[in-house]
Amino acid sequence: MANLLLSPLEKMYILHGVRDDCRSDGRTNIDYRPMELETDVVSHASGSARLRLANTDILVGVKTEIDLPNNDQPGYGKLEFFVDCSANATPEFEGRGGEQLANSISNMMQKAYQSSDAFDLKQLCIFEGKQCWKLYIDILILECGGNLCDAVSLAVKAALYNTRLPSVKTALLDGGNVDLQLSDDPYDNKLLNVDLAPLLVTLCKIGDKFVVDPSAEEENCSVISLIVGATGNKTNYNIDNKKNESCTDSKCTTIVMNGSGSLAPKTLKNAIKQGIEAVQFLDQALGQALLRERRENVTMKKYSYGFLK
Amino acid sequence: MPIDYRRFNGPEDSVSYKQYTKNFLKSYEELCNELIDENEHRKDGRALDEARTMYARTNMISQAKGSSYVELKKTKVVCSVFDPREIPNKNEFSPLGQIYCEVKFAPFSCPRKRRALVPDAEEKDLSLSLKKALEPAVCRYAFPNYQIDVFVYILEHDGACLAGAINAAGLALANAAVPMYDTITACSIAVIEDKLYVDPTEEEEYVANMTPAKEGINHGIITVAMLSTLEQVAGFTQLGSMDGTCVINATEILQKECQNIVPIIHQILVKDVIHNIDLSEKLEKEAKLREAALNENMEEWKKLLSAD
Amino acid sequence: MPAADLLSSQGLRLDGRRANELRRIRCKLGVFTQPDGSAYLEQGNTKVLAAVYGPHQASKSKSSSDGVVVNCQYSMATFSTGERKNRPRGDRKSQEISLHLRQALTAAIKTELYPRSQIDIYVEVLQADGGTFCAGVNAATLALIDAGIPLRAYVCACSASMAWGARPQPLVDVPHVEEAAGGVVLTVASLPNTGSTALLEMSHKLHMDYFKMVFSSAVQGCRDIEVILDRAVRDHLAEGWTEQDTVTV
Repeated sequence: MANLLLSPLEKMYILHGVRDDCRSDGRTNIDYRPMELETDVVSHASGSARLRLANTDILVGVKTEIDLPNNDQPGYGKLEFFVDCSANATPEFEGRGGEQLANSISNMMQKAYQSSDAFDLKQLCIFEGKQCWKLYIDILILECGGNLCDAVSLAVKAALYNTRLPSVKTALLDGGNVDLQLSDDPYDNKLLNVDLAPLLVTLCKIGDKFVVDPSAEEENCSVISLIVGATGNKTNYNIDNKKNESCTDSKCTTIVMNGSGSLAPKTLKNAIKQGIEAVQFLDQALGQALLRERRENVTMKKYSYGFLK
Repeated sequence: MPIDYRRFNGPEDSVSYKQYTKNFLKSYEELCNELIDENEHRKDGRALDEARTMYARTNMISQAKGSSYVELKKTKVVCSVFDPREIPNKNEFSPLGQIYCEVKFAPFSCPRKRRALVPDAEEKDLSLSLKKALEPAVCRYAFPNYQIDVFVYILEHDGACLAGAINAAGLALANAAVPMYDTITACSIAVIEDKLYVDPTEEEEYVANMTPAKEGINHGIITVAMLSTLEQVAGFTQLGSMDGTCVINATEILQKECQNIVPIIHQILVKDVIHNIDLSEKLEKEAKLREAALNENMEEWKKLLSAD
Repeated sequence: MPAADLLSSQGLRLDGRRANELRRIRCKLGVFTQPDGSAYLEQGNTKVLAAVYGPHQASKSKSSSDGVVVNCQYSMATFSTGERKNRPRGDRKSQEISLHLRQALTAAIKTELYPRSQIDIYVEVLQADGGTFCAGVNAATLALIDAGIPLRAYVCACSASMAWGARPQPLVDVPHVEEAAGGVVLTVASLPNTGSTALLEMSHKLHMDYFKMVFSSAVQGCRDIEVILDRAVRDHLAEGWTEQDTVTV
């Protein structure tokens, strides 16, 4: 990413590796690097997750606040993304240096979650037209080792899956003001439905081929990448794992071209298809991990690692 | 939100009165049904796959190196391009030239709300998308360590803003004689209830971004920028929710639409060149006339001098 | 005095510790690969990450021929506090803490070894429960050691407060509840090995007679922390030769 210098020979090596479907770390073009994911790592947040994808380290915390719904959407809640590039990742991010990157990532996430197919804002409504939940999704980038978008989207989905909203005991309308009583019991809460939350997949064009999950070095070799955001699948997050349920197809919620190059239309179409497939695959893996984590949580077997592992 | 203190901003908690009108409170289905009549004609009489006629011209702004004006019925966009200049506050050498883009809405441009003078998130996003689309079109190696400024001002917003901005910027860049690989054209499409609306109006875009009544229906907006001769997609943005086949269908339609715009742009540029040649010829002629007149005077003066 | 009931009749504090007990400290060196040195430190519920870059060439404006320029940035994650913070850095409090960090760490680093160079130290608070500055200093020390930068001694920071029960008693390592109770908080950053103090900061008023008591308990806290940090460094180095360096080579 930052101050990464590659000689032409090193670039050539990566290029040839991609051409022969054997990348410099031994992966094929459609392989992801191993990931580590842990939810519930920050106790001050309603939901949190930490994802480590090789060298990329993302920490996401979800905070809930009560807010007034927008005038034109009385029955909906609100969602806000905030990305902070920590200077821990690179000294270039010191002060306001990381703002541009942070804005582009938060914009992309906002777009991906905009559609109702991606995230149902109705579940954040408390009292129609008067009060709603506002979720602040704060993304902290601790280390950049390539493929930030994918890692951020995975961590955000995991954090939302982990988010607990306190249940509302009573909501009284008292002369135009809403009087809310929230439950004090930390175990009395409701979970969010995030089965359909979208994941982003970056397809990086190196040479003539597309590569999934590029490392920082590979990103340096590419002039154009395509970021495909598509919704997840409900069946991946069902505990009973019923396969006979209507299996909905993934839907694109956002597609963006990133970089200064261009693509031939045919390549673009193929890449979109490849991206959607990759999202389905990723979503399945994430679903399994999250379900296992939740089972461990319920049976009190979960051991909290945090950063100490 | 940052506020411009040099201007009168109005009370902070004021809302548009339009939010209390009947039009505003219409449900999704009503809005949907309004967009199209039983003959599959849209509100302005176009068919679904019919783009708006485009009017465009160059040389709008005399101060700028190159400028253009693009009109898609009610969407009106002005663009100006300035000469390459050294990149400000930069120490490192950048082997490729930079393009700086700024898209701005006029305060009165949008039908639903007044635009603030401080750039908001949508404007920043449009600027970034425009920049990404223009980068592959411009021969950036021709001006290393320099940047070209592209300013787009949207006078009236009636849908397809980004497409209008890209068309205008491409035209203005050509007008400014910036070396380019190909003409860049763009078009957008709105998907509402599985129907494809080519070159949508603001109203159609608004409905496309709304939450549909039923789940699982395709909706959203796609904008594509093309370099048609090279057959390359320079910019692609998609929003909303649609399945893969829908995206691919829409892309194919947009590809053709982008191609349809190319002759218009070429025609304008050719006219521009002819106009410039005419102008230079005319100037040359005038200069010759002036010289002849001067020479005549000179002869007279010489005579007067020799007479003394 | 507002902080009357910080100590129960059994001599236990609100979180069940005794007056002279530290919170549990868990730490790890070398959590990241890209920075030259990094460390993670947990002090009770306060969780801090620190990263060190350098020494590298200083930017022209900062460069000094006397010694290395220490550049610190302290930032808090927006979700680290009970109420959401609007921005992670740039507010007055974090700027002040950045300056304090710089003061404390400059005292420990052998600055004269690297003239015209710069060391960047970034501290990121992931979860705040009182004593974020102390945890930041302790984590930064570990990160500096991980980066292999010569230090005079470990620099450790600890805070102390005062309980006014039947008998005034100093409390070591102050968590958020005790900070918020409004009593005195004395923060000390010291180099226990050399017996010197690098930074001293106090909020609220305290009678001179009691100052020595609070100060000595904070310094004792620093000494205790040094033992813990030292053990962590030794453990890390012991396993480091087998695992870490084979990966990086």
